[in-house]
Amino acid sequence: MQYVVVGLGGQGILFSSKVLGHIALSRGAHVMGSEVHGMAQRGGSVVSHFKIGEYASPLVRTGDADLLLAFDQNEGFRNLQFLRSGGHALINLHQPEAVENEHLQKFAREREISLHTIPGYNLLRQHMGGRFLFLNVLLLGAMGGAGVTDITSEELRKAIEALSPERFRKANLDVLELGRAFFAS
Amino acid sequence: MGKRAILLGNEAIARGIVEAGCEVAVAYPGTPSSEILPAVAKYADELETKTAVEWCTNEKVAFEVAAAASFSGKRSCAIMKQVGLNVAADALMSVAHFELEGGFLLAVADDPGPHSSQTEQDSRYFAMYAKIPCLDPSTAEEAKSMVFDAYTLSETYHIPVMLRPTGRVDHCRQDVELGEVLSLDRPANFKKDIRRWVCLPANVRVNHPKLNQKNDAIREDFEKDFGAYNYEVPATKEPKLGIIAGGISFAVIMDLLKTLGREDVAVLKIGTPVPLPVKMVENFVARHEKVLVLEETYPVIEMQLPDRTKIMGRWNGMVPRAGELLPEVVEEILFSALGEERPQKSASELKQALEELAVTPKPPMLCPGCPHRASFFAIRKAYPKGIYPSDIGCYTLGVNQKAVDSVICMGASVTQPSGFYLAHKVDDKDQPIIATIGDSTFFHMGLPGLVNAVYNRHAFVLAILDNSITAMTGGQPNPAVGTKLRKGDTGRKVDIRKACEGCGISLVKEVASYDVSAGVAAVKEAWEHAKANQEPAVVIFKHPCMLLKCEQEKIPVKVDQEKCIGCKFCIDFFNCPGLRFDEEKKKAYIDERFCVSCGVCIQVCPHGAIVKAGEEA
Repeated sequence: MQYVVVGLGGQGILFSSKVLGHIALSRGAHVMGSEVHGMAQRGGSVVSHFKIGEYASPLVRTGDADLLLAFDQNEGFRNLQFLRSGGHALINLHQPEAVENEHLQKFAREREISLHTIPGYNLLRQHMGGRFLFLNVLLLGAMGGAGVTDITSEELRKAIEALSPERFRKANLDVLELGRAFFAS
Repeated sequence: MGKRAILLGNEAIARGIVEAGCEVAVAYPGTPSSEILPAVAKYADELETKTAVEWCTNEKVAFEVAAAASFSGKRSCAIMKQVGLNVAADALMSVAHFELEGGFLLAVADDPGPHSSQTEQDSRYFAMYAKIPCLDPSTAEEAKSMVFDAYTLSETYHIPVMLRPTGRVDHCRQDVELGEVLSLDRPANFKKDIRRWVCLPANVRVNHPKLNQKNDAIREDFEKDFGAYNYEVPATKEPKLGIIAGGISFAVIMDLLKTLGREDVAVLKIGTPVPLPVKMVENFVARHEKVLVLEETYPVIEMQLPDRTKIMGRWNGMVPRAGELLPEVVEEILFSALGEERPQKSASELKQALEELAVTPKPPMLCPGCPHRASFFAIRKAYPKGIYPSDIGCYTLGVNQKAVDSVICMGASVTQPSGFYLAHKVDDKDQPIIATIGDSTFFHMGLPGLVNAVYNRHAFVLAILDNSITAMTGGQPNPAVGTKLRKGDTGRKVDIRKACEGCGISLVKEVASYDVSAGVAAVKEAWEHAKANQEPAVVIFKHPCMLLKCEQEKIPVKVDQEKCIGCKFCIDFFNCPGLRFDEEKKKAYIDERFCVSCGVCIQVCPHGAIVKAGEEA
């Protein structure tokens, strides 16, 4: 599996690659990922790569990704070309009309890319008092719920439980479930 | 097999450093190297070694500290980023000639791209220049194993050894095998010997030829004994192309050949680019009709080849001379080297969608609530026609507040004002100059410039933006903070104000960064003082980094839609991610996704339209 996780610096993207890594390792699989640190973390566009299996390089080639996880819709759209034919995009959408763009839809159809969207900010407003720092865990939950990878919701739950700092553990697990239920229901 | 853990490349290097028995590890932070030293401290704590682990004030300091530990017989290491090695270059060139005692690892992280640097220079050139060997890892796991070999090589030839990961190796995450700590019984034992430890010209005349002999011998070792790092991956069919690759480019090309199912391309991996095992490379070249060289970022392998007639690389334009060799770039180079058409899918629909949706890449900017934003706003407000030299750190992003005009390198914010001052002085002009520098950068290389300006009587204002941390690189402590890395290790805080006063600054003002009007007044007073007395003056803006030490009251704000006249002043000069402009309504609004309720923008709107939420009429 080849993942590309995109968003803006400060959205907690590094934590999600930690979670993916934890899951892969508990399966006994080899892991290769590439992260962004430094200046780009200051609110700028961030692209993180993650590969599970027998790979030499941590970088995903354009057109090879199985899943694009987008914490920000614009960063998601901008990086759709990472996906292979038949790949999935899971996008945190804050302007629902944007995804209706005709050319965007046509691009997705031509490449058989499935676009899954989740109104992350609205959900966190409704259920978490607008604490948007939970966006990363919400998206991971949604990833499990949408069935866009072979990683199960149970594996995600175990990883979040193991990796969360004590004071965030309960809230993280609640948010993970919130994301899962959004697609599963 | 030992326990495996998923480590960042930098953590793998750190683990190697601790396991290899390094007893003195020092560094100055800089992306992409910053995570190495904190991880050294973490593993040293976990594995209960006595390793001294310290942040130094700059890379030259770090290099020299590590060097003297090696003179004493200890395994040591100095860690830095590529531009840090420029600062440490003086010491490197000298120490390369020494007959070292303990193993000395120089870990230098390069930043092709660049992602977070002012240059994308290739440190392997520095290894060539200093005539020291360089190891170039392709993965985190290989980087860890190279640390051990670097120490062995260093102790065999009594020479510093460079480990040169690039950012993609530093920041790759990979499962890596963990080992035990090598137990070395090496009490500190500095043996006095001026021929060995004093770089007198007479000694250099003896040591330089010796250094050349060491290089010849190491090259021979690289030809035969380093098969783990230098090896051939033969083609399974008659090869159409041979590729010589090192560093991350090797990993990229291996994945690419596998994805493309190519069986007609042979690859020679080179993990020891300096000194290059030339015979091994020439043998590979001789057996292939065409040879492509892939390495980042300069043609270091390529340049060491005596005959380049069959070589495709940077000398003939086949490989771009700048930028990162990403998989897409490598793919294009590969097909063009093969003389084949690259299969491509059209992305024109996506391009059109992005244009219609006005989606563009988002450049980095100061975080919402960043105290620097308020300081920059005050500086610009005090002297809108000032010249604003600045420095390397988060505050370089003050370009967005239009309060940063020129940046060269660490410490140059304190020296550029002298040049600007003199250029105007010879024309008999008083030009307000307000320079900005951070707390860590001030101690890194700001002090010599400040002493120079006091001595020569240069009038300007130096604004020290003290957020009590080295923020851009992830929050390392520095002398202004006073804390240290290892458990139970305490440092002493060095007071910025006293340091300035000690350099001879007679006016030092301290203000709270968030108090914009106090900031404006302080900058004005400082410039008037500087002008009247023909000397530099200092304003210290103080507020802890918002991102790393969020500790203040929350002041939720809103834009009064009646009062906002749509002038965009707040957008243009305050430029906060939490403040946005609605192009349809022609009004500013608060983007609650990013706003952290610092409340500073209330002071920014000239029309009083930004107000405390819940307090408007």
